[in-house]
Amino acid sequence: MMYIQINPELEMPIYEQLTMQIMIGIIRQELQNGDVLPSVRSLAADLGVNMHTVNKSYHALEKKGLIQIIPKSGAIIRTNNGIPTQEEQGRISNSLKPMIVEALVIGMKEKEITGLIQSIIHKLKEE
Amino acid sequence: METIIFISMIIITVFFEAAMPFLVRKTVVFGVTIPNKQVNNPQISTYKRRYSLLVIIPSLIGIIAYYIWQAANNIQADQVAIGGTVLLFAILFWSLSLYFYFHGKMMALKAENKWEAELKEINITEIGVRQKDEMLPWYVFLIPIIITVGFLIFTATQYHLLPAEIPVHWGLSGKADRFTKKTPISGVSMLLILLVMQIMFLSINSATKKSGIKISANNKHASKLRQLKYRKYTSWFFLLTSIAITVLIILLQLTILYDNIFSDHLVFLIPIIITLSILIGAILFTIKLERLNRGAEGEEQDTKEISSFDGDSYWKGGLIYFNKSDPSIFVEKRFGVGWTLNFANPIGYVIVFVPLLIIILLSIIE
Repeated sequence: MMYIQINPELEMPIYEQLTMQIMIGIIRQELQNGDVLPSVRSLAADLGVNMHTVNKSYHALEKKGLIQIIPKSGAIIRTNNGIPTQEEQGRISNSLKPMIVEALVIGMKEKEITGLIQSIIHKLKEE
Repeated sequence: METIIFISMIIITVFFEAAMPFLVRKTVVFGVTIPNKQVNNPQISTYKRRYSLLVIIPSLIGIIAYYIWQAANNIQADQVAIGGTVLLFAILFWSLSLYFYFHGKMMALKAENKWEAELKEINITEIGVRQKDEMLPWYVFLIPIIITVGFLIFTATQYHLLPAEIPVHWGLSGKADRFTKKTPISGVSMLLILLVMQIMFLSINSATKKSGIKISANNKHASKLRQLKYRKYTSWFFLLTSIAITVLIILLQLTILYDNIFSDHLVFLIPIIITLSILIGAILFTIKLERLNRGAEGEEQDTKEISSFDGDSYWKGGLIYFNKSDPSIFVEKRFGVGWTLNFANPIGYVIVFVPLLIIILLSIIE
């Protein structure tokens, strides 16, 4: 099973770091459909972070449709069939847009932007 | 006899106090987290050695003085006990003061060499670690409780058999030497206290089980295995201690009910055997942990990372854990063997202090 690492000194909030780590686990298939995540209480105790933080992260993942929360016992990974819906793609496009605008405005070329995205994808899938 | 018991007790205490800096994790010295690279720093080794010597030498002088005092003055048994207890507490207080002195020294050393910059706070866990936890479930702790409740009911039906004077204290000879008047409460007060203790063991076990399985970022794998074993041993130690105390109290209660059921020798021997086995159990537990520590340290990797559990900011004076975010009730001690409360979590106070209050109340009612 995968390790989860949180760095409280980073700018990114702890709940977002946790959400990211679990999503990366799914990408790398360290977490698979049907795997059980620990209860909010025990994950918070093991990580030494606030229960609200873990709860917030679980709800964010639930909203993205990646886990199903079962009260009091934990959460189950629910990966979709690998085909993103129109709505999901729209959401990604909307969140990506401001970053691309920023990249273009500081003078990045189209090639550089796609190259950057590719290298990020590679890094995520590696290790 | 009393002198021998006290001196051996004090020697064991001095040994553990003096050995403490060498028993605990190398990366936390006198409650101060240091980088992996610095574990063999000569200045730190000097501090550790100096601490041990400063514990041992005055303690030895104290023990010799105590021995001469009681041998020369033909002292009564209870005075020997009082003297021994005073000496024991003096040694504990002395080593605690030394701890704080060297804690301050370590903080200064850390600031001077700017080790702070080399340490990174990382909180780490493994998703599936809970499935590997082998702590005993709470209902196993019901076994001694059920036996006690059964015996309590049995004693109630045999109330007429209880003597008019209930023994409350046994001397070293195994004969009761202090008594109290028979009432429905004093008749079973020993069993009630036993029940409170058993419930305390049950709740401490459950609270520890709910508390975090802390992994160190330096050596994920080894520290994880170590934590899991530590939790398992603790759980078994609690259960066996609970059972041992149950056997002891029920035997004593039987001798109250049926005057001559056991010979005086047996009544004298059993408490000693049970106390000794709990003590030996505790020592074995410590030795096993020490081995675990060594095993874990062998795999220590040279990373700059360090887990936030080591975060000095949550350890007041390096001794008291106070972390409002962490829902854990108990955490492993950093200086010493065993567990300590997360003082920011009120449930811990309830589990530890309510049973003590009830036991004190019960002994006052008597």
